[in-house]
Amino acid sequence: MAERAGVISELDDINELVRLHQARIRRFVTCSTGDPDLAETITQDTLLRAFKGRESFRGDCSLSTWLTGIAINVTRDYLRSGRFKFWKQLKATAVDVHEMASFLPSEGVSAERRILAKERVKELYAVLETLSYNQRTIFLMKFSEEMSVDEISEILGMGVNTVRTHLHRALKAVRRKLGATI
Amino acid sequence: MTPATSTHLSEEAFDDVLIGLGSPESEAHLAVCQDCWRRVNAFRSDVALFNSASMAWTESQPIRLSPTSRKTVHRTRLAFVSWAAMAAVLAVMAVAIWHHNGPAAPPRQATANVSQTADTEAQIAQDNQLLQAVNAAISPDEESPIDEYKLVQTRHSHMKTHHK
Repeated sequence: MAERAGVISELDDINELVRLHQARIRRFVTCSTGDPDLAETITQDTLLRAFKGRESFRGDCSLSTWLTGIAINVTRDYLRSGRFKFWKQLKATAVDVHEMASFLPSEGVSAERRILAKERVKELYAVLETLSYNQRTIFLMKFSEEMSVDEISEILGMGVNTVRTHLHRALKAVRRKLGATI
Repeated sequence: MTPATSTHLSEEAFDDVLIGLGSPESEAHLAVCQDCWRRVNAFRSDVALFNSASMAWTESQPIRLSPTSRKTVHRTRLAFVSWAAMAAVLAVMAVAIWHHNGPAAPPRQATANVSQTADTEAQIAQDNQLLQAVNAAISPDEESPIDEYKLVQTRHSHMKTHHK
């Protein structure tokens, strides 16, 4: 009860909502769409929609899961409206994966290990880019947002087996790219 | 090698473990098979590296206004300019009315009356310009009713019909 009250007050304060969730949603949408500028717009829309529709948050899932669900709906709206195609054609910005990989924490890590880790990050991102939108989104929901298959299934309105199939295909692609270690 | 590790996990069983849907048999196998356990850890480690780097990178990105927000800011500025222009027009009109209806002035010479008429016409022209500027500022994209309903064209065609 106290936890729900905390979440409600978090939703009532737009600044708090932005402070706590913007980066995570933006990361998810950036990796999902591959376009940081578009992700920024979608993230802002997501937080605004969440704030406006905060009364509809029932508390039957975590706030992050609820926000991710809204982000997916906003992204879908962009896909349907053709705005996404516009952005993709424009291709004004793309994720700079070399820059992203350089943001790995370096404390207590040898230079050699750091170089290897950067390569792994770049390779994993390269695989994600080759996946279909659904496969990539589901992969991120599972392994970056740490959602359960049931939660993913509910948010996307897909059967559990369909979610599982998408994950299997994504993992197969990852294994093919990252080699024998996985 | 124990019977549990004699064969490694199949790709499907392995992926189910990663997804979190591993069967009790798969979990039992992982508990004793170093190779499979190492593979699971390698995947988790790669994903953790990716999550860590992507989150740190995202947090470092500057937050800019989206096109929607920019549009809102632009509209707000436009509204402010429009209101300022409207206030200026009202002030000019108030001064003009005050001049027109003001206290009875002493009788003037004919030349002075001519000069007053000329000033008023210039004022009217200036007022019209201001009103047009305000109209343009308030609705720059709005089509003129004359253009929108092709009033001039309609009148011409109407006249043509009458000529026939």
